[in-house]
Amino acid sequence: MAKEGSGSILQFAPFQSSVDEGFWHRFSSLKLNKFGIDDSPIAISGFFAPCSHPQVSNHLTLLAESLPSDSNEESSIPAFSRGNRNRCSVPGILYNTNTMESFHGLDKQGLLRAEAKKIWEDVHSGKVLEDSSVLSRFLLISFADLKKWSFHYWFAFPALVLDPPATLVDLRPASQWFTLEEAESVSAACNEWRNSSVTADVPFFLVSVGSDSRAAVRHLKDWETCQYDGQKLLFAFYDPCHLPNNPGWPLRNYLAFICARWNLKTVHFLCYRENRGFADLSLSLVGEALITISQGWREHQCVPNAVGWELNKGRKVPRCINLAKSMDPTRLAISAADLNLKLMRWRALPSLNLDILFSIKCLLLGAGTLGCQVARMLMAWGVRRITLVDNGRVAMSNPLRQSLYTLDDCLNGGDFKATAAVRSLQRIFPAVVAEGVVMAIPMPGHPVSSQEENSVLEDCRRLNDLIGSHDVIFLLTDTRESRWLPTLLCANTNKITITAALGFDSFLVMRHGPGPFNSTPDLKAEMPNSLSAVMDNLALTNTDGKQRLGCYFCNDVVAPTDSTSNRTLDQQCTVTRPGLAPIASALAVELLVGILHHPHGIFAEAEIAKSNNGGSSELPLGILPHQIRGSLPHFQQMTLVGNSSNSCTACCSTVVSEYRKRGMQFILQAINHPTYLEDLTGLTELMRSANTFQLDWDDEMEDADDECIEL
Amino acid sequence: MCLATLEVFWTVIEVMMDVCNWDGTVSAKDFRIGALSFAQKWESLNSAFPPWSWVPCPKHSWLASHEEEGYLSLENICISRPNEEDIDQNSQTDPGEEETSCSEKEDDIDDATLVQSNHHELHYCDFHVVYSYTFRVPVLYLRAYCSDGRPLLLDEIEKELPACSSKELPETKWAFITQEEHPYLKRPWYKLHPCGTSEFMKLLFLGGDTAQPKLEVVLELYLLSWFSAVGQVVGLTIPCKMLNDR
Repeated sequence: MAKEGSGSILQFAPFQSSVDEGFWHRFSSLKLNKFGIDDSPIAISGFFAPCSHPQVSNHLTLLAESLPSDSNEESSIPAFSRGNRNRCSVPGILYNTNTMESFHGLDKQGLLRAEAKKIWEDVHSGKVLEDSSVLSRFLLISFADLKKWSFHYWFAFPALVLDPPATLVDLRPASQWFTLEEAESVSAACNEWRNSSVTADVPFFLVSVGSDSRAAVRHLKDWETCQYDGQKLLFAFYDPCHLPNNPGWPLRNYLAFICARWNLKTVHFLCYRENRGFADLSLSLVGEALITISQGWREHQCVPNAVGWELNKGRKVPRCINLAKSMDPTRLAISAADLNLKLMRWRALPSLNLDILFSIKCLLLGAGTLGCQVARMLMAWGVRRITLVDNGRVAMSNPLRQSLYTLDDCLNGGDFKATAAVRSLQRIFPAVVAEGVVMAIPMPGHPVSSQEENSVLEDCRRLNDLIGSHDVIFLLTDTRESRWLPTLLCANTNKITITAALGFDSFLVMRHGPGPFNSTPDLKAEMPNSLSAVMDNLALTNTDGKQRLGCYFCNDVVAPTDSTSNRTLDQQCTVTRPGLAPIASALAVELLVGILHHPHGIFAEAEIAKSNNGGSSELPLGILPHQIRGSLPHFQQMTLVGNSSNSCTACCSTVVSEYRKRGMQFILQAINHPTYLEDLTGLTELMRSANTFQLDWDDEMEDADDECIEL
Repeated sequence: MCLATLEVFWTVIEVMMDVCNWDGTVSAKDFRIGALSFAQKWESLNSAFPPWSWVPCPKHSWLASHEEEGYLSLENICISRPNEEDIDQNSQTDPGEEETSCSEKEDDIDDATLVQSNHHELHYCDFHVVYSYTFRVPVLYLRAYCSDGRPLLLDEIEKELPACSSKELPETKWAFITQEEHPYLKRPWYKLHPCGTSEFMKLLFLGGDTAQPKLEVVLELYLLSWFSAVGQVVGLTIPCKMLNDR
């Protein structure tokens, strides 16, 4: 639609900015590797192209190539070359500050004026005739917050203000201004200009149409010679704007240049726009502008005013973009880890319950060869909440077998294992929620003096709290007796408990059965006494009448005692074959995942591996055994079932109810008096009667031998 | 087209393999040939569809291959409906910024500046088809962004692309969108995970009662067929002319 009539101010559609993510990636890398805290301005290039769509304007774009190359980077980003028709480059300057305060403190008007002055200089020096893209010079201020991966930025497209402003005499689609023949010739000439790599990215040019309707496209510097060539001479430019009634921003400085350089008062201009890569003369506009310049304009020293800060949704505020999701290494690590597990679920195991793995809290008692490996395996399965308990320090021999430690942890006497382990886990996967507790586990058979009593009771309470606040407990310590108290506490609260124990060349991995009381103590307290008596009788059976699976101590006929003193040197320094700990740890974690996916959880029945049929279990993860005993010399593994024992020193109903009645005093007594537990459970009685006749103890006694000490 | 080249190339292979033994994958060379001819054909049709182009990539000195590597690229595709009003969460400024934003001493806008009132946000998408050496199949990489360059997250993309919603994806066994590093651009892009590709490609050609096609025909049509299957997930279409010419 033609716009006629004099007097209306020529209004230009502002440039719009678009910053490709790659620009920020590259800039961050430059900042970290090259610039550091240096905040001197950086020369950059912006790219734009003529409008190519009737409904959408083109933007001034910044890409990774906009920035100078980083010599440290491998050249995965091609350097931009001139002559690209879709990327006309314009020079720009970037002022990046190191703090938010300095970003807001920048003298924006001063910076804008400085860039306007550069344009003004280029106008008068004739630089524009050599490289017209300098007319569209731009300014960018920014603050890159590389801790939060957010970028605050603000563009300015300096435009020299004509005072008074130019008025629009006429503006109409080019197809209506040219004759049909002329239009054809103009399109052809422009397409040729656009297709030649020499001129494709020259954004300001001349279009002259002779009386023979033949059009020619010329460089700006040929203006003088064009005067007599044709009847119609248009100042043409690549117009990024698509609007039918307004030309784009580049025309502003173009007009300023034309009137400063050649003192023209009437300017015919062509807003060149395209569609699908070819000149589109119905989208392109031809207009006539009237310029009245003030006296001061012709004086070189007097720089005109400038406007051009980009508005953000109509407001004079900077823009902000947050790229943490694609740049923050921790986030990337998390999404990569999640991807792995999701792939497993998608391709092989649709019933995999990732939510439960992400949310369970695991308590690892012991941060040695077993503890380190179990922690790693848990993280591999997506477990994020891990607590490690160990009172030892990292010794020089540890890093070889305990996979979370390195030599650095051994220096200066050695860091506490619990602390070093947590540090290591966080280095492996920053999103893990890991906690280290430096604490000894009170053990029966290791009596304590009365001065130590309080701290031991404190440790007991602390252990109880830890167990109470976690969902799964792994018993990974190096003595039999250190497993007693945790087993009791877990049996009392029905926590999923998994034990791994190593011999020299054999191992045991097992899950404890549920405790003797299938309801919580609180619930039981609400019941009438007669009912609670009935409940007590549920000692050995689950609610469905089946046998309760046993714990680590159920098979033992002796109470846990001090196994560490009075041993020969070779017994004290026994080691295990290195392959055992990783095998046992891995099995322990796989066993846990099996429990978590079993509909009955801790109450799940035991299954035994049948050698003749593989994969016969209904559950996708396979069978859920009770005990796995492995022998390295035979490269063999057996799955066994052991039911709970009425006389178990750790989980039988007698012991647990005694604990419930007397609490810490009961614990203390068990710790201090070696035979107390045996008397309580009737084991003493059992032994006495057993000694009266011969029995084949072979199978049972093997268990005691397996519990060797590892260093 | 490149039919002649392919026939020459595959005469030798034809003797050794037949379609039944084919595992659904293609070699890097097949991919490159197929991609180049795909791009050529697409451009020659010059239809209303924007063009795919082949982007060559600088060779890494440690790779033994003598051939140029690259990928097919289709960029700046507008994927949002123009009348939608989107509220940009990410490009909002912090409330604290408003105070210190601008000194009002001089006008930043003068009479000659057009003030535009509508700000509907348009979303764009770039698509790359990259060869995966691990899976030996083409892989579709995509990323989406607003007109000011802000990248879109997966849940925002899913709103725009048909059949790409998270409701449908678990049902579609072959389509699984993940975020991984683009092999050439070294930045996180989204991709359609390729581990089902060889299987569905095999099915595409072997499923059905019609006589088994010759392997060289299969490989020539590979990229087109792959594209027609994968493109559906993200709403990319092939002009009929590309398919009719067979």
